[in-house]
Amino acid sequence: MSGGHDPDEALVSGVGRGDPASVRAFVSAKLPRMAALAFRMLGDATEAQDVAQEVFVRVWRHAPTWRPGPARFDTWMHRVALNLCYDRLRKRREIAVDVLPEREDDGPRPDAGLMAADTGARVAAALAALPDRQREAVVLAHYQELGNIEAAALMEVSVEALESLLSRARRGLRAALADLKTQ
Amino acid sequence: MNAERFKLLADAYGANLDRWPANERAAAVAFMGEDPDAPVWLADAESLDRLLGAAPSPAPSAVLREEIIASAPRAKAGWMRRGAWMSGAGLAAACVLGVVVGANLSGLYLEEATTDVSTDVSTVFDGTAYFDALEISG
Repeated sequence: MSGGHDPDEALVSGVGRGDPASVRAFVSAKLPRMAALAFRMLGDATEAQDVAQEVFVRVWRHAPTWRPGPARFDTWMHRVALNLCYDRLRKRREIAVDVLPEREDDGPRPDAGLMAADTGARVAAALAALPDRQREAVVLAHYQELGNIEAAALMEVSVEALESLLSRARRGLRAALADLKTQ
Repeated sequence: MNAERFKLLADAYGANLDRWPANERAAAVAFMGEDPDAPVWLADAESLDRLLGAAPSPAPSAVLREEIIASAPRAKAGWMRRGAWMSGAGLAAACVLGVVVGANLSGLYLEEATTDVSTDVSTVFDGTAYFDALEISG
């Protein structure tokens, strides 16, 4: 959500016309952003690439008829990517429910030592353990660097609700990573 | 801005004031000069920001990028896009003219030449159809 000029307007227009230079420039600019968003939401590089690819399939269909409006094209892409991520998260849960009786979650994780040695992996695991909406808030506001109004609009919540989600998420992350904070 | 609000914003958005709501940044900066606890809260938020920055984010491969670029619909060539049927008709007319002139010229040198122009014209329009087919498949 932005109002005003959409910085992607000229590129999207070129993409809509099938201009090869615009397509190349657009993909170079947006692919890392979409792949990062999907990876942070899903925690899986292969799935993130699939989501990014699917986002661009939608872009090819949407760009020829797109006209600048209140929402930026980049915001629309974020919405598409998030929807695709939530589809996959839902499927994961369905599968997890199917196999739940066979899982044993008690006791130390076999990879705990390895994860302690790798701060990045620890942080990724802590992010993945957050409730989906809290993780979405962190991904949009912190990693994707969207403004609070734009992030709140994307999540279809008020700015106050976004701040509440962010606070709870960061509190959870702080607790999960407490042993790393002093290092 | 008061301490409660400042702490909430630091908890929510982290230590980088550029990520805070634009309409509260100036007040936050002013508050930092007033409350000695404010820098402490920011330092706490910054330590979590640093950890978040350590989370991996694999860059998409060049192969994926090229695959996505190749999947984009491509524009038709300029001459086809701009009134292709007119170009085809112009080409056909030029061909007809060529056939007629050719037939007349051949008549000058070969007395027995009786070119059936209508047959050649139909052949020419078959050629036009071929160009239309090219446009569709392109």
